[in-house]
Amino acid sequence: MLKVVRSALADIGRGLRMRNVWMALAREDIGDQHKRTTLGPVWLLVNYLAYAGTFVVIFGHNPAIPNFPAFVAVGLFVWLYLSEVITQGVSLFTREQSFISGTTLPVTVYVMRMTMQSVIRAAYALAGCLAIVLIEGTPVTSFWLWSALGLVLIVFATPAVITLCAIGGAFFPDVNFLVQNLMRLGLFVTPIFWTRLSEGGMRALIYHWNPFTYFLEIVRIPVIDGRVPFHALGICATITFFLWATAVLLLGRLRKQIVFVL
Amino acid sequence: MVSIRAENLGLAYRVRQKLTLAARDRRMVTGGRIEGEGRSRHVTALEDVSFHLSAGDRLGLVGPNGAGKTTLLKVLYGIYEPTAGRVEINGRVDALFNINLGFRREATGRRNIVLRGLINGWSQEEIETRMEEIIEFSELGDFIDLPFKAYSQGMAARLAFSVATTLEPEILLMDEWIGAGDPSFQEKARERMATLAEKAGIIVLASHNPALIEKTCNKVLELEKGHVKALRSVEDRVRSKSD
Repeated sequence: MLKVVRSALADIGRGLRMRNVWMALAREDIGDQHKRTTLGPVWLLVNYLAYAGTFVVIFGHNPAIPNFPAFVAVGLFVWLYLSEVITQGVSLFTREQSFISGTTLPVTVYVMRMTMQSVIRAAYALAGCLAIVLIEGTPVTSFWLWSALGLVLIVFATPAVITLCAIGGAFFPDVNFLVQNLMRLGLFVTPIFWTRLSEGGMRALIYHWNPFTYFLEIVRIPVIDGRVPFHALGICATITFFLWATAVLLLGRLRKQIVFVL
Repeated sequence: MVSIRAENLGLAYRVRQKLTLAARDRRMVTGGRIEGEGRSRHVTALEDVSFHLSAGDRLGLVGPNGAGKTTLLKVLYGIYEPTAGRVEINGRVDALFNINLGFRREATGRRNIVLRGLINGWSQEEIETRMEEIIEFSELGDFIDLPFKAYSQGMAARLAFSVATTLEPEILLMDEWIGAGDPSFQEKARERMATLAEKAGIIVLASHNPALIEKTCNKVLELEKGHVKALRSVEDRVRSKSD
């Protein structure tokens, strides 16, 4: 067990020391994706605004949710980030196959490259999200710092999520399609544009047992409700701890076998 | 002192029955032999491979497809972890397996040098110091500021070779490399390889080209289905072929 953990930590340590590699590659990735377009990466902002705008227009103003556009904007921002991390994460090692079978870069470099890409993309969406929240007249309070803490926690959990998804996708290719379908379903069973109406019923159950709920809440509650989401933060911190523990164990045990299953 | 010592080196891995509804992909990531049935089905890619190389040695790996040449190179580079025996390497290792690896189509040659250098573990200062030398050796001229996608295969190979050999790796591993590029560049590349070997380096080159092996190497390791068939000097190999 100790050997497995040590192997994983060595990979993570080497990967973090090579931050100039994954930071440079992630920037190139984002640049390449928008090469020859007039707006460049600003398309990421446009995409988010179009998505959020569609949700607000279609679902209208929900009387049960005051400040509905801001509520949707924050929820959608977090959901899109999580959804991208998971759906892209499962195919990460397949995409990086030529690097994995041709270099000795630590696995963490690929994981951090994708983390960095997702954070850069999210930064553009965040600009759109803030614009909607402020235009809707949401007061800026010191509680927003708790939202920032929530975002830090989500970013901290990201490499662990990517590691788990990438290992799952490499060893069990069907996971790619399974995850895509689950995430499509997740859009509706996660309280992005709805909320729990009462303590009972199916909606309350889904709200309660869906782990994504709490990751949305740690960012949304301080901004929209102006309070500290201690309960959600506790759940997210616990989930993040278990994600990292599992990721470290699987990374240490399987990192040298990944090249043989791609 | 630069050296490579492989003792009873072996690499075997289980063929995983992937949890998938798709038609099974029976290709192997390495060469070798498939043994066993069902869950114990495994590939023996290398078995009982032993050799020792010291400063100045240039080893040619020969053998038919699937003999284990590329697998052995990847074990020496550290991509595959041996499952038997041990390999001891003293010296900074660089490898030229896939000449386009790490090169981005949209980025210029100059930017690609930076990225490839970072991937190789060079510092920013090392990259800047070597930049002009790499450009000059690659003979790319003004093409260096054009996107990589505008390069011919030969130009790409020249850039890759220049980057891989500029920092004078103590041990250079190459797989079927030298086919690309015009004859004058090939000659230039051979000279650099000779210089590298003279500067106490080791070169391991896998190739199907006997003329290249005889020109470049002083030792030849012949592999067959993951086993060492023969390890001898180039002179002995040439002599045995002519007998």
